[in-house]
Amino acid sequence: MNATVAAQMTSADLLKLRRKRGIMIWSFVLALGPLLIFFLANALEHKSPEYRDGLRALSLLFGPLVAILIGVEAGTGDASAGVFRDLVVTGRPRLALFASRVPAALAVCWSVIGGAYLLLVLGIFVLALGAPTPDAALLVNGLGFALLASGVMCVIAVGFASLTTSKPGAIIALIAWQIVASPVLANISSLGRTRDIVLSQAIAHFSPVHVEGGRGATVAMSQGTAVLVLVAWMAVFLALGAWRTSRMDT
Amino acid sequence: MPTPADDPATSDPQASALAIETRGLTKRFGERTAVDSVDLRVPRGSAFGFLGPNGAGKTTMIRMLLGLTHSSAGSATLLGRPVPSQRAQALQGVGAIVEEPRFHPQLTGRENLRIVAAVRGPEARERIDPALARVSLSERADEKVKKYSLGMRQRLGVARCLLADPQLLILDEPTNGLDPGGIQEFRFMIREMVEQEGRTVFISSHLLDEVEKICDAAAIVDRGKVITQGTIADLAAGGTGAHPELILGVDHPELALSTLSSSALVLEAHRSPEGLRVVLAGEPETTSQINAALVHAGVGVLRLEPVRHSLEQRFLEVTARLDAPETAPTPTPTPESEEVQA
Repeated sequence: MNATVAAQMTSADLLKLRRKRGIMIWSFVLALGPLLIFFLANALEHKSPEYRDGLRALSLLFGPLVAILIGVEAGTGDASAGVFRDLVVTGRPRLALFASRVPAALAVCWSVIGGAYLLLVLGIFVLALGAPTPDAALLVNGLGFALLASGVMCVIAVGFASLTTSKPGAIIALIAWQIVASPVLANISSLGRTRDIVLSQAIAHFSPVHVEGGRGATVAMSQGTAVLVLVAWMAVFLALGAWRTSRMDT
Repeated sequence: MPTPADDPATSDPQASALAIETRGLTKRFGERTAVDSVDLRVPRGSAFGFLGPNGAGKTTMIRMLLGLTHSSAGSATLLGRPVPSQRAQALQGVGAIVEEPRFHPQLTGRENLRIVAAVRGPEARERIDPALARVSLSERADEKVKKYSLGMRQRLGVARCLLADPQLLILDEPTNGLDPGGIQEFRFMIREMVEQEGRTVFISSHLLDEVEKICDAAAIVDRGKVITQGTIADLAAGGTGAHPELILGVDHPELALSTLSSSALVLEAHRSPEGLRVVLAGEPETTSQINAALVHAGVGVLRLEPVRHSLEQRFLEVTARLDAPETAPTPTPTPESEEVQA
C-alpha cells in the first residue's frame, strides 16, 4: 500500500467521523460546555478563572470523554454500519483498514480539543480581571498536555472499540475505567507500585501545572515509567484491536 | 486438499477459462455442515445463477469465496487465483454485494462510493461518476443514503461493485426490494455487462424466475450441496441428453398407447391428466413420424404439444428428492446429478 492510498483511506475515515453529527455535537458539548460553565461560575463569584483548573478539567476529565466518544466511533463505525465486509472484499488487508482509523480519530479529536483549549485561553485572558495570566511557555506546554491526554485516550478507545465491536459497551467500559475505577485504584495506597499502571496517573505525570490530590497525579512515578505506561497501554489495545479486526467474521 | 500448485489454472490466472472454481469446498459450524463439498465451475463471460431456497448455504458459499470466512475444507479459485492465498490480487478484479448492500447512512451516495474508492486505489475514484450514471443514480448521488429506498441502495451497491471495473461480479440476492420496473432494468444491466462488456456475473438467488431470465447457466443448491449444474436449457430439460417429451390428445387412447409402445421412436408412453405423455427415444424432429404412425393406425390426433420444462419444475424435482424419506425408492439419477454429487 503506497502513501497516496494510505492518505486517501485516512481521509475517508475522517469524512465518516466528521459527518457523524451526533458524535460531533456531543464532543463539542463535552469539550466546550464545562469550560463555559467554569467561566460563568467564576464570573458570578467575581473571580478570575484559574488556568490550572480549566486545563485540568479539559485534559483529565472532559477531554478524555471526548476522546472516548470519537475513538469508539472510529473503531466501530464500519462494523456497526455493516460496511466493513464491503471494505474487506476490496482485497485491502484488514490491518490497513484498521490502521487508517487511528490518524483519522486523532485528527478529529485534536480538532475538538484544540478548539476547546483556544476557548480556555481566551477566557482566561478576557476574564483575568487584573490577575496574573499564564506565560507563552506554559500555554504551549498546556496545549501539548491537553493533546497528549486526549490523544492517548483516543488511540486506546480505537483499539478497545475495534476489539469489542460494541459501541455502547466500549463507551461504558472506558468511561467507567477512566472516570470511576482509575481514581479509586490510585487512592488505594496498599496497592503500592502497582498503581503506576493506572493510565490517568501516567498521563497526569506530564501536566505542566501542579495537580494536587484527588483526580490527578496521586501516584508519583518517574518520567520514564510514565512514558512506558502510556506506550504500553496504547500498544496493547492497538494490538488487540488489530488482532480482532484481522480475524473477525464479517 | 489440492494446493494452488496442483491447480493448472493458477499458473496463468488470465488463461483460466473459469471465473470461479471450487473443489470440495466445505464449511462447518460445529456439528452443522452449511456448505458440503461443493464443486462449482463458473465459466468466464457468463451470467451464472446460484439457485437455492433460503438457508441452502448460498451466502456462506459467497462469504468463503470472498475470504469473509474461512472454509473448513476444499479449495477455490477466483479469476484463476487461489483464495485465500492470493485473495488480495483476486479481489482486485471482483465486485461483490454480500446479503443486502449496507452503507454509512449519514453520508451521501457519492461519499459512500468515495469511501470504497479510497480503499480500492486512485483509479477507482475516477470511476465514481460513470458508475453512478450506469445505475441511474447521478441525480440523487448527493442525497444522504438514509433517504434512499431499498431499490436505490441496491443500485448504489452495484455502483460500488463497478468501482473495481470488475471482471467478476458476485451479487447475493440482488433483486431483493426492487419493484418490477427495477427488476427489468436490473436484468437488462446484467445482460449488458455480460454480452457487451464480457464480465462474469455470479448471482445467488432463491427466485427461479429471476435466474431463468437473467442467467446462461446455473447451479441448484440445497442443504449445502450442489444438486446439479449446467446451462439453463439443460437444467430445465432435465440435463444434457434428456429425452424430449410430448403431450398427446387422441380419440382412442388405448389404441394410441399400444401403437406407441410398439414404436422404436418412443421410450415410454402413459396416461397423464393432460393427455398421453410420451417420452421420445430420439430428437424432437421424430414427432412428425409419431403423428404419422398414429394416423396410420387409425388414431385421431386432436392435440400434439411438446412439453416445455421450466427451471421451476426442475428445481422442485431435485429438491423434492432430498425431502423423500430414506426408505423411499431412489429415483433414477440424471447424468449431471451423478457427475456433480460424485
